[in-house]
Amino acid sequence: MKIRGDILRTYQSIHTWTGIVTGLVLFIGFYAGSLSMFEEEISHWATPSSHHLPQIPADKFDELILKASSSFDKAQQDFTVNFNDNLSPLTWSEKGGGRGLQLNHVIRHATLSEQGELVTQANLTNELGDLIDTLHRTAGIAGKIGHEDVGVIVLGIAAILYFIALVSGIIFLLPTLVKSFFALRTNKGANRFWLDSHNLVGIISLPFHFIIAITVVVFAFHDVFYGGLSLAYGDEPLFERGEKSKVEYTIDQLPPIASYLKKVDELTEGYTVKSLDFSGLSSSRPSVGITIINHQAMMRNNTGDFIYMNPYNFEVSFSSVQMNEEDVYTPLVASFFSLHFGGYAGDLGRWLYFIMGLLGAFLFYSGNLLWLEKRRQKQAVQTKANRFMACLTIGVCLGSILAVVTTLLASKWFYLIDVQVNNHYLTCYYLTFFAALTYTFSRGASRSAIHILYALSIACLFIPLTTLLTIALPSLALWEQEPFPSFIFEFVTLVFAAAFYYGALKTKHRAYYGEPNSIWALPVIKVSEDLADKALSSA
Amino acid sequence: MARLSADEKIQPHWWLKTLAGIVLGLTLAYAIVAIFAWYGPGGINAPVKVQFNMWLITPIWLLVLSLSYLFKTGIKAITYLGAANVALYALFFFLRWLS
Repeated sequence: MKIRGDILRTYQSIHTWTGIVTGLVLFIGFYAGSLSMFEEEISHWATPSSHHLPQIPADKFDELILKASSSFDKAQQDFTVNFNDNLSPLTWSEKGGGRGLQLNHVIRHATLSEQGELVTQANLTNELGDLIDTLHRTAGIAGKIGHEDVGVIVLGIAAILYFIALVSGIIFLLPTLVKSFFALRTNKGANRFWLDSHNLVGIISLPFHFIIAITVVVFAFHDVFYGGLSLAYGDEPLFERGEKSKVEYTIDQLPPIASYLKKVDELTEGYTVKSLDFSGLSSSRPSVGITIINHQAMMRNNTGDFIYMNPYNFEVSFSSVQMNEEDVYTPLVASFFSLHFGGYAGDLGRWLYFIMGLLGAFLFYSGNLLWLEKRRQKQAVQTKANRFMACLTIGVCLGSILAVVTTLLASKWFYLIDVQVNNHYLTCYYLTFFAALTYTFSRGASRSAIHILYALSIACLFIPLTTLLTIALPSLALWEQEPFPSFIFEFVTLVFAAAFYYGALKTKHRAYYGEPNSIWALPVIKVSEDLADKALSSA
Repeated sequence: MARLSADEKIQPHWWLKTLAGIVLGLTLAYAIVAIFAWYGPGGINAPVKVQFNMWLITPIWLLVLSLSYLFKTGIKAITYLGAANVALYALFFFLRWLS
């Protein structure tokens, strides 16, 4: 396909500049997004199994709720019923809680003993999964403007530029696309290989990237967009206001739990109920949020679909699944969410999204490397700007991953020392991140890339070792020996340990045997014997 | 293809084109969405349609913004996008006046 040269050059500049400005924050957003596909599993992995109380048979839930609400005032307003075998049957907030990230959220778990007695315990919730999700949404940029996170706004702006980068990338790739789509030229130097793989990954995952770019902009700026839209609606209200009920409800009027399961069966097809989230039970605005799962359906989120209703009269106030034939917009809107969160194709879909997210991170990382190569001088010492960007790329990208892996590694140890784990997670992440960044700027990009990759490999290796230790030493056995599938986490970290080790070897090879004028080159130091002797005699 | 002379080529004009794309692209997206909101399937009161409308803004806006750099000059970008805005808003208010 032929495109005018001036158009190509225009869009090449746009691609370069939008890419280099946004690459680093998007890198963090993408790899953390990959991890957040398994947010619930990560939190579950990190939580000591003793925190969860044993599940009870389905017909005992009403008895449990009755006993819990008569013994605990807090359980008369809000509680959650879980049907998952690995979670406590009933939980409610003891301290903290509410929307957003809660580092000091204490919840009380309740179950029934075999004799039918109420058994409860209170624990600090584990927010590791939520923290990774927050890292995904904000790239680790702290602070708030009003009630919005600064990081979310930053990523929203970055996503606008990222959309432009995608369009411009396609435009200036078009003329050579057909010819060199699947070409991965390894024989034309490292630079060509990076470029080919950057293009290949970009093209094959293009639909995914467009979806992500658009959804991120919407997630960041939906309030602003609704504000503008209200002008077009004129006197028509944007949202129907729920009529305020005059009826004051109390918890003893609550219908049996089985009636909600029956209601969900009537309303939907093929869905099973995962949990019931009751709130405001003894008030005039009671609500129950029902999380439902159907791996055959396109669910709004990878953790499920939702139905919100009044728990006393079953009136549906909001649902992410289609309730009738005329309701064409609910599934359309849900599909936008689903495409971002990977809520379709079940576990396979989640693993695919995990891989696509990592490939996305690779796209930004390789883009930065290409930028650095392009501006390279044909001399050993590169410009200050180039060195700065190289350090920033290594420090931010690898530093952030190292910080997350270190936090994952430290997680089980925190439980052995202290119970305020969530605050420790934050400290650990930022300490490691800034330490890695400082190290990169003091030692140079090339050397620190090798060292951080080694550190990553070791940290990944120590995660399964920690798990082995908690199993082997009974005094550390906060985590029961879990059934086989939970070792997937440990297995994945082993794969990554190997990948990072291989990366370190390749980076080292490039530093000593690659293009000597590259920003990644390190001077080859020949340790001759007389030098070693000199060192010995002077000591 | 004949070689283009200097003034036949696209001029950079980054600031003007970006500004045109951001501001006029957004208002253009709103115009299209406003027409769809009132006269698209389901009309203005269809359930959940307001969310769908809000979702439509971003892809239209960003596509216009991305392609704004194809205008030869910044002034042309403002002129054409401005004219498209006027036309679509005129259509919208005409339709509203009719109904």
